[in-house]
Amino acid sequence: MRAYGDESVAAAAIASGARVLSRSLKYHRPRTFFCLEGHCSGCLVRLGGVPNLRACQSPCTAGAEVEGQNAFPSAEVDLLGAVDFLFSRGLDHHTLMTGSSVLNRLANKVVRQLSGLGKLPAKAADRLPDVISEDIDVCVIGGGPSGLAAAAACARAGKSVLLVDDQLRPGGSLRADPRQGRVAADAAIASCNSAGVRVLDRATAIGFFPEDDGGVLAVAAPEQLHRVKARAWIWATGGYPVNLPFADNDRPGVIAARAVGRLLVDHGIVGGDKVCVVEVPEMIDDAEALAQALAAAGTDVVRVALSAALGARGRSWVTAVDTTHGRVDCDLVAVAAIPSPASEGPRQQGCKVVLDPARGGFRVVVDEHGRTSTEGVWACGDVTGYLGPARSAEDGARVGANVAGSV
Amino acid sequence: MARKIVLCRCEDVTLADLEHCVSRGYADIEEVKRYTGFGTGPCQGKECLAPMAAQLARLTHVAPEQIRPFTSRPPLAPTPIKILAQAPDAHRFDDDEGRDPPT
Amino acid sequence: MIPGNLDDDEGDESRADASGEIRLPATLESSGPVPPKAEIVIVGGGVIGLAIAYYLARRGLTDVVVLERGYLAEGASGRNGGGIRQQWSTEINIRLMQESVDLCRRFAVDLGVNVWFRQGGYLFLARSQKEVARLQKNIDLQNRCGVHTKMLEPKAAQEIVPELDLRGIVGAAYNPTDGILFPWPFLWGYARQAAAHGVRIFTQTPVSGLVPQQGGGYDVVTPRGAVRARRVINATGAWSPQLAKLIGVDVPTYPIRHEICSSEPLKPFLRPMVSELSSGLYCSQSMRGEIVGGVTLPGHGSTYAMGSTLEFLATYARRLVRLMPILGDIKILRQWAGPYDQSPDGNPILGAAPAHPDFFLACGFVGHGFMMAPIVGKLYAEYLTGDKPHEIFSRYTLGRFSDPALAGQHEKEDFNIG
Repeated sequence: MRAYGDESVAAAAIASGARVLSRSLKYHRPRTFFCLEGHCSGCLVRLGGVPNLRACQSPCTAGAEVEGQNAFPSAEVDLLGAVDFLFSRGLDHHTLMTGSSVLNRLANKVVRQLSGLGKLPAKAADRLPDVISEDIDVCVIGGGPSGLAAAAACARAGKSVLLVDDQLRPGGSLRADPRQGRVAADAAIASCNSAGVRVLDRATAIGFFPEDDGGVLAVAAPEQLHRVKARAWIWATGGYPVNLPFADNDRPGVIAARAVGRLLVDHGIVGGDKVCVVEVPEMIDDAEALAQALAAAGTDVVRVALSAALGARGRSWVTAVDTTHGRVDCDLVAVAAIPSPASEGPRQQGCKVVLDPARGGFRVVVDEHGRTSTEGVWACGDVTGYLGPARSAEDGARVGANVAGSV
Repeated sequence: MARKIVLCRCEDVTLADLEHCVSRGYADIEEVKRYTGFGTGPCQGKECLAPMAAQLARLTHVAPEQIRPFTSRPPLAPTPIKILAQAPDAHRFDDDEGRDPPT
Repeated sequence: MIPGNLDDDEGDESRADASGEIRLPATLESSGPVPPKAEIVIVGGGVIGLAIAYYLARRGLTDVVVLERGYLAEGASGRNGGGIRQQWSTEINIRLMQESVDLCRRFAVDLGVNVWFRQGGYLFLARSQKEVARLQKNIDLQNRCGVHTKMLEPKAAQEIVPELDLRGIVGAAYNPTDGILFPWPFLWGYARQAAAHGVRIFTQTPVSGLVPQQGGGYDVVTPRGAVRARRVINATGAWSPQLAKLIGVDVPTYPIRHEICSSEPLKPFLRPMVSELSSGLYCSQSMRGEIVGGVTLPGHGSTYAMGSTLEFLATYARRLVRLMPILGDIKILRQWAGPYDQSPDGNPILGAAPAHPDFFLACGFVGHGFMMAPIVGKLYAEYLTGDKPHEIFSRYTLGRFSDPALAGQHEKEDFNIG
């Protein structure tokens, strides 16, 4: 596999035609990329002897060996995929083979052997990395349009600001939206840098621990743990791409519309020759923008409403979508669902959330200033309910200014 | 492949599994999480919590705003043990001097 | 390949009936009024309460109501690591656990729900000669009871778990018939079978009052009405003192938070539950492939707070990577906590409360109620339906803590590890 520059393993793999990467835990259905943002489990691979790493968030390293997982003999041709046919109606493993003690003991043995995803690492970790303590005015979690804007606003007002972003490079949904593009992402990062924001990339906020040290946010970077204390917190974690419910919606080649946009905008990769966009009404503008950009790149695009989508076809890769108007042949399906607010961090800080399906899921409840229900904790952008990149950037700038005025 | 509407890809939980679970009386989202396993895989619910909650509201005829998310548990992303092992927060036991005690 | 029945739903009463309509079974009732009266009300829908309900129903006593204040598995029964062992330091606990292991082996077939009981053994590791002596003393007792625990040299322990770093390990106790299982299906199995016999199980139903009735029994008050109960069983685990307080009974147990975490799923490699005496570290590999484990943090006092701490993650990580360095690049997926119902002598509290003959206790299991539940539930049902009481009901009374005549008569269980 050839790779270029700071490309991710996933982008390099897609560019070189890789398809199925692993098999699912229960039915051994084929699995591959879906979100390309490091949040789903589609692209877990064994990389350099370490199991269950996300290909989309792993930079290509010369000589590192990439291996598929949980399949025999290979992810593309997996004999255990027969499990899926045998239990075509589904399988309640809770009641499986409880009829006799002999069968039950056998079931226990077989299930144990089939369990798990990756194998043990090849070797012990080289070293245990040190820990860094951070003490700042404002910690912004999420380096997408709203987080970058909020961080810049706080820093321009003279606050010390740490921005934590979990992607290979910051920019978030700006890097996946043809209306915005890499240029918008790079400009937002540049204005953060010039305002004096310290940016931690490839760093994930893994939890807020109120009992430890008077309240500390643990942030995991690839080789380092940061213990962050701050006077104000701004959650700008955006939303996760999710799937839509149609038959065989987990078929490889059915990927998030934002991932298709990301491949095109950020990586210069046209994901398919014939793309079928399956969309919900709330995402019609986003779907339209993606469809235009794909068409401009020479792709045939057919848009299908979720209400008309009956199911995906294909074995190890999608070949068509059955719709109420007939069959749509394609080699890629872009699912335009409302991103689900990434609210589990705010929930750990006690912030009130509400299930709002029309805005993507459990959105953080904020007042008109961006305050959550927890003192000192703010939120902006898609985590407060889907806004899209442009409105998220405006929201971030506004909330950032409010936070700066209150700290 | 058999036709399945997959709601949680980490744990292969389908819409039919959710219907089966609810029909058994396990209709609280925490009970659904435990019975179906949804949200317990490598994504910890990032992809499946919202769609699952919306489907649960529909199946149980409960207003969406009445449905609470399952408890958010750290770490929010899979975190290597080696990253956590050096945190100064660790309790030190009597036999805990360094990594290489004399034998 | 998974052999077996393609249609595993045969005989499943909850699926569509002949008309194609899905019938809701009455396994759990999360809304609607509670019945006006019952012979027995069990407060607490954890594994102890449900096991008692199931065995009562099996013995024909089906006029039973179980009241769970939250969702099924919300308390410690849904939060433990699923360890089942016979390595204890008192004869009575060893013998009880021998019977529990037998019931666990039969559970899936008896109750129709898989609990994925895997007897991979328990391996206790000692880092000092003092710990070795402690293990040896227990092993002698266990061997006399017919549990074949062996003392192993470190090298022999490594043959069972090749990933162990033996530096600092001086010995190990290993019993191959201990094991692990999935806790939740126990609740589903007991609940479903008890309900099938007529027991009614209410979730989201907290008890706010116990009003003693003339001639015995109580009105058990809930937001969904009151149940007049001939007898009440307190099976609320760490919350037992609160319920007992409603009628002025002092239960001397207190809640201690224990944290636990789970890793990403890995292909099977770890056979036994591994535990280290010096830190209380324990870990095992579940049937889903996750490494599930915890460590004992001293000094947090009594609390109902069930939050997660970085102190736990860091301590567990530090001790685990020291014991098995190969796990350094394995990732933790989630952590949570549950309350141990800590009793002063490490043993449970069973039977009627002194001077309250209709108020029964089933608490104080110090984090090991799950593994005890199958046998304790069975014995409790026998006791309540008039059989000659097992000796646990005279030994583990609430009175032992206040009656000077009983002081010193009971032994202390000191092997509550992990």
